[in-house]
Amino acid sequence: METFIQSVVSGVLTGSLYAMIGVGLTVVFGVMRIINLAHGDLVMLGMYGAFWGLTLWRLDPFVSILLWVPLLFLGGMLIYRFLLKAIIPGGELNTLLYTAGLSLLIANLALFVWSGDYRTIKLPYALSPMRPFGIAVPVPLALAFGLAILITAGLSLFLARTDLGRAIRATSQNPEAAALMGVNVDRISMVTFGLGSALAGAAGVLLAPSLYLYPTVGEILIVKCFVIVVLGGLGSVVGAISGGVLLGVVESLGAVYVSVAYKDTIGFALFMLVLLFRPSGLFGVGKS
Amino acid sequence: MRRLCVFWVLLSATVFVSAPAPAQETLKIGAPQPMTGPDAPFGDKFKKAYGMAVEEINAKGGVNGKKIEVIIEDHQAKNQLAATVAEKLITQTKVLVLTGGRASGQAVEIASVAQRLKTPYVVDHPSADIVTAKGFEWVFRDNPTGSIYPQAFNKFISEVPGAMPKSAAVVYDNTVFGKTIANSAMTFLKSKNVPIVNDEAYAVNSLDFKPVMTKVKANSPDFLLLVAVATTDAILLTRHAKEIGVAPRAFVGFGGGFGVEDFAKELGPLSQNVFSSAAWSGNPNDPAVKEFYKKFQTKYGIFPKEHEVEGYSIVYIIADAMRRAHLTGNVEADREAIRQALLKTDMTTVFGKVKFGNWAGPLGDKYTNQNIYSPEHSVLAQWLDGKLLNVWPKANAETGYVFPDPTSKR
Repeated sequence: METFIQSVVSGVLTGSLYAMIGVGLTVVFGVMRIINLAHGDLVMLGMYGAFWGLTLWRLDPFVSILLWVPLLFLGGMLIYRFLLKAIIPGGELNTLLYTAGLSLLIANLALFVWSGDYRTIKLPYALSPMRPFGIAVPVPLALAFGLAILITAGLSLFLARTDLGRAIRATSQNPEAAALMGVNVDRISMVTFGLGSALAGAAGVLLAPSLYLYPTVGEILIVKCFVIVVLGGLGSVVGAISGGVLLGVVESLGAVYVSVAYKDTIGFALFMLVLLFRPSGLFGVGKS
Repeated sequence: MRRLCVFWVLLSATVFVSAPAPAQETLKIGAPQPMTGPDAPFGDKFKKAYGMAVEEINAKGGVNGKKIEVIIEDHQAKNQLAATVAEKLITQTKVLVLTGGRASGQAVEIASVAQRLKTPYVVDHPSADIVTAKGFEWVFRDNPTGSIYPQAFNKFISEVPGAMPKSAAVVYDNTVFGKTIANSAMTFLKSKNVPIVNDEAYAVNSLDFKPVMTKVKANSPDFLLLVAVATTDAILLTRHAKEIGVAPRAFVGFGGGFGVEDFAKELGPLSQNVFSSAAWSGNPNDPAVKEFYKKFQTKYGIFPKEHEVEGYSIVYIIADAMRRAHLTGNVEADREAIRQALLKTDMTTVFGKVKFGNWAGPLGDKYTNQNIYSPEHSVLAQWLDGKLLNVWPKANAETGYVFPDPTSKR
C-alpha cells in the first residue's frame, strides 16, 4: 500500500510540472494556431535563469522566478514582434518549421555561451525529503507543486475574469469574429506568446532544482510536452493540466507495477488509446 | 536579398574558421570524440590527455623524426555521426590510425567503419564487449571490457567476510554498456545464489527515477547495483534512491557516470560511500603512475582519472607501433604495417601492461586483439569526501573501505 501511495504521490508531483510546461504550449496554440517547437528551449532558458540566479547572486530559484517570469514574458513578446509576426500569414507548416529553426538557434546559442556541461542546482534544504507518514516528498518538488498550482490558478482567473483574458479566449475561439468585436488580434497574439514564454520559463525555474540542465535538455522536454498537450486536447488549459498529471501518474504506476523499461511505452499507449476514442483529446475543442 | 547575403557571409565564415590549417608531413591519428552536447566534458578530458602525450613525444623527436598529431572530430555523442566522422577521418583526412570514441554505442559504429576501410582502431575507453568480440582484426583495445568492470566488486564480496549480498537490486540503462555490465554482475551473483530482487532496465535520460526506486524500496535489497553510462542518470539515480529512502548495505555503481568527478560535485554529501567498480586509472601505488598524476595536475589543474590515463596511454601505444612499423608514405600500406606492429605490442604505459591477444571474457565472449592484462585492470573504488579512492583489491588500494554504509537500515 505504501508503495502504491508513494508512486501516486510522485506521479502527481512530477505530473504537475509536466502540466506547467504543457499549459504554455497549449495557450499559444489555442490563440495563434502555432505549434511552438521552441517551447522546450524556453523552458531550458528558465532553468538556466534559476541556475545563474543561484550561482551569481545567491538567489533562491523560488525567489528568482519573480525576475525570470517577467523577463521571459518580455522576451516572448519580442520574439513574436520581430521574428514570428512576419511568418504567421505563411500558414501552419511554415510556422512549425520556423519555430523548429528557432529551437535549434536557441539551443545552439546556449551551447556556445554556456558549453555542453550539465549542471545541477544544489539547495541545502533539498538534500533530504520530507517524510509525512513515511511517504517521501522531495522539498523542491513540493514547493514547485505548490507554485505550479498557484500559477495555473492565477492563469485561469486571468483568462476567465479580466478583459485581456476574455480577449485572449475570444481570439482563441474565432480570430475574425474577435477582430470584428474590436479586439486587437495582433496585440493579443503578442501578449499570448509572451504569456506562453513566461509559463515555459516559470516551469523551467521550478523544474531546475529537481532535474539537471544542459543546453539541449529542451529536446527531452518537448516530446513529453506534446504528449500532454495532445492528450488533454490542443488549446485547452484544463486539458493540459489533466494531461500532465495523468501522464505523471500513469508513468509512475507503470514503472512500479509493470517495468521501468516500459515506462514510456505505457505513456504512449495511453496517448494512442485516448486519441483513438477521443480524437480531439480529453478536453479538446473539437477542431484543429 | 540582403538577409540572404548576410546569411551566406556568416555561413562561409564558419566554414573557413573550421577548416584545418595545412600542416607539414605529420603522422595523423584520428579521434572521434564528443566535443559538444551532453558528453562534451568527456571529449575535453581526452583532448587534454592526447595533447599532453603528443607534446611529450614530439618534444623528444617524434616518431622516427616525424611529428605526430591527433585530429579530433566532434560526434556530439551521436552514434550515426560517429560513423560519419570516422569515415571522414579515414577517407579525407587520411589518418593512419583511429582511437577515441568515448561511449560504446559510438565505438561500435567506428569499429565497423575502421574494419570496412582497413584502418587500425585502437580503443582507449569504450568498454562494451562487442567492440572486440566481433572478430574484427583491425580493432584493438587497451582498456578492460564492460564485463570485466564488476570483477573487482566480485572479488570484494567474495574476499571480505560477511560482504556477500543477501539480495541485490540491479538498475541499469538499456544501452550496450549498461546491459553488458549488468549482465556480467548478475551472472556472478546468480552463481553465488544471491537472489536478484529487481532487474530493471531504463532508457537513457529518464528524467524521473522515483518510480523505479519506489519499486526497489518495496523489496528492501541488501545491495543496490546501478549502471549508468550518462553522468546525469547516475546523479539522478543516486539522488532519487536516497530521496525515496532505499537504504542498502552498499550502493554500487559500475564506472560510467559513477566514476567521474561531477558525480560527487553535483551530489555533495549524497555521494558519500558510493562504490564504483570499473576500469582502473593505473596503479596509484606505482611511482611512475604517481609522477604522471602530478605532471598532469600541474599542467591542467585537474586530477587525472580513468579517461585521462587511458587517453594519454593510447597515444604512447600508437606511437610505439608506428615506431616499429616500416612506414613508406603510402597510406594504405602504412595502415597495414601499423596493424602488424600493434599485434606485436608488448609494453607498459601508465595505464598498465599491454599486449593484444585473442581470449575469452568472463561471459564467454571471444575477444580479438583485446589487452590480455585487462582482468588486472579492474578496481573497486569508493567516494569518500568527494574523492574517488581505490579500496579493493588491497594491492591497488589507496585507503580503507567503509562498509556497510552507515545509513543502511538493514
